[in-house]
Amino acid sequence: MSAPTDPTPVDLTKARTASGPAPEPVAAPPAQIQVFPAAFTGQAGEYFRLWLVNLVLSVVTLGLYLPWARVRNRQYFYGHTWVDGHNFEYAANPWALLRGYLLVGVFFGTYSAAMQFQFSGWEWVAGGVALLFGLLYPWMVRQSLRFLARSTVHRGLNFGFGGSVGGAYMAYGVANVAAVVSFGLALPLAWYAQRDYQVRGLRYGAAPGRFRGGPGGLYLIGLTALGLTVGGGLLIGVLGALAAVLIGAAQTGGPDLSGDFDDLFSQPGVLVGAIAAYLGVLALYGVAWQYVRAATLRYVLNHLELGGVVRARATFSTARLVWIGVGNAAAQVVSLGLLTPWAAVRRARYVAAHTQVLSLVSLGTFQAGQATRESALGEAATELLDINLGF
Amino acid sequence: MPLPPSPHAPLTLTGTYFDGQSSRAWPATLEIGTGAALTVTGPAAGAPGPLHWPATALRAEPALPGLRRVIRLPGGGRFETGAVAGVRALETRTRQNRVLGGVRRLEGSWPLTLGATAALGLFVWGFLTYGLPALARAAAAATPVTVLDTFDRESIQLLDTDDFLAPSRLSAARQAELKREFARVGDWAGGGYRYRLLLRDGEPSGAPFALGANAFALPGGTVVMTDQLVALARSDRELMGVLAHETGHVTGRHGLAGVYQGLGLALLGTAVTGDLVGAATFAAAVPSALLQNGYSRRAETEADERAGAYLLRAYGTTRPLRDILARLETEDRAADETSLKAEDPAPDDLLRTHPDTAQRIKHLREIERAAR
Repeated sequence: MSAPTDPTPVDLTKARTASGPAPEPVAAPPAQIQVFPAAFTGQAGEYFRLWLVNLVLSVVTLGLYLPWARVRNRQYFYGHTWVDGHNFEYAANPWALLRGYLLVGVFFGTYSAAMQFQFSGWEWVAGGVALLFGLLYPWMVRQSLRFLARSTVHRGLNFGFGGSVGGAYMAYGVANVAAVVSFGLALPLAWYAQRDYQVRGLRYGAAPGRFRGGPGGLYLIGLTALGLTVGGGLLIGVLGALAAVLIGAAQTGGPDLSGDFDDLFSQPGVLVGAIAAYLGVLALYGVAWQYVRAATLRYVLNHLELGGVVRARATFSTARLVWIGVGNAAAQVVSLGLLTPWAAVRRARYVAAHTQVLSLVSLGTFQAGQATRESALGEAATELLDINLGF
Repeated sequence: MPLPPSPHAPLTLTGTYFDGQSSRAWPATLEIGTGAALTVTGPAAGAPGPLHWPATALRAEPALPGLRRVIRLPGGGRFETGAVAGVRALETRTRQNRVLGGVRRLEGSWPLTLGATAALGLFVWGFLTYGLPALARAAAAATPVTVLDTFDRESIQLLDTDDFLAPSRLSAARQAELKREFARVGDWAGGGYRYRLLLRDGEPSGAPFALGANAFALPGGTVVMTDQLVALARSDRELMGVLAHETGHVTGRHGLAGVYQGLGLALLGTAVTGDLVGAATFAAAVPSALLQNGYSRRAETEADERAGAYLLRAYGTTRPLRDILARLETEDRAADETSLKAEDPAPDDLLRTHPDTAQRIKHLREIERAAR
């Protein structure tokens, strides 16, 4: 790769005040790579107010305002993410989302009513809803990806998603089953299949996406996470045993391992140790999960290509992002959720500041693809049922 | 919507135009009077000529804090501008985004945001204290009696087959006597329910846990009383006091209202946290259980008042119920109402499904005094 040049540094103060049109990048000679750094200009205080007001409105309307709240929250994050002097836009129609929410709500309401009241034949109703959900899950993921892509706009062009139904059932059905049947050995393969499906189906205007990664990269992530978990678990175990012996020695004047098992748990030191071990395991799980999330994001960004001329590059440190993720989770728990907006802004700011778009052409030369209308049903289902799409 | 001849001065907004067919950005101005005209400015080869639409065809996207405004143009184009005031004037003229514009004003100000939060607290408190119980009562009252009968039948089947209860060890004559007396309570309680008294052994061997001295009502009018409670009583008046309390739960439809309240709290939790099965739903389980206990305490007081009314009418005093409540609390057959001293509300009040027994006895005494 030739040394990246930056012909149009983005003036963020200008973008923030949005005073005028951004200059077009100067047409570069062929094969000259232009680098457009991404940036996030959202502010914690500003977003806190938006988040809180929309939360209040959702509650006061008994949830009916929820689609508008979701759209505004997302619009804030898309709108404050900039590439080459232009921001993204989330253009979902809240009314469409409301229809989807209500439909999913009816299904879930039927299911929980069957579980709660156990009227005659409830097993059939609950089983039917659960089975329907299981069978439709890959299809809903595909619908959700289509809706999400279609609702994302940059420089006046919509993204799109063209992944097939069969592909969805392979990546989200067969691959997930294989991951379970193989006791997790095929889990990174499933991750790969899902990222590949997501990126390959993506379009910006008419420019198709391509995933340059392979299963190997995700196996590396999976093994590292496994190593982290096992290593950390051993560390906690050794430290815990050491602490128990030391406390025991301090209390009885020598290691007393002959005592009754019941006695063991009545000692305050052991109780403290058990709580510490529990918190340690919780933290370990959090770190491993944050690692997979951060490393996958980095891997996907670094292997993403659009139309053969645009690539993304992530230069953030995975360890730092894990640190931010774990810190954010702790802050949210301690503040009873009030620091959620601050945490989200903090993460977005770090990720955007260390992500660049590399292009062989001016970003102003993309053409629109065919327009489609998307149903919000899959989006509503994946959001309400908390299905993790992965990115 | 035809626009009336505008008394306003024409607006001129500068910004960026996208035609929706390409990612190319054109510097442009948008002039809005009675109509709208878009002109690409600056040296731009291949620029589209001036475009014209009626001003009412422009759609302003709702404003977001810290971002430039977007106007959607007919034919898929868009115009982005930092001229916030101008777009607001357009919104006013064409009456767009009135609700979301208000939301944006709330979001923009700390006092309004915090005020809205205080309003939320008040709303939630009011809804949980008055709204939800009223809704649940209405739903319970609207449930047909045939549904309640089914509920009774299936619950008794479950209790009998799961070894919680065994057949009563009382003699057939004693059982018939109690049922005869209960029939009088049932006649008094009324409401079109099919009252019947079931006597059961509450401590059968092999039960997962012992119910002990207890009585409970099912929504359709079935009242279950254990042999252990009968043994604890020193007179049948005391037992009738307890049974009148249970019919109070039946006529108040407390059991069903409790189920509806639980469902309402679950739905509300979902609306607030925005997901159905996420971690936040689990976090909401504890406050929800505490609220349920509060509703349950209120229902107990209501049932006590019904029992008090029956006892006053039948015996002229609420003393029998007071005595057996004290005996249930102390688990001592020799105890009576004077064995319990009224104390300040216990600190664990939130965790109780029933009001403090001393408080209940005090309340029953007040009912008797009020009747004199």
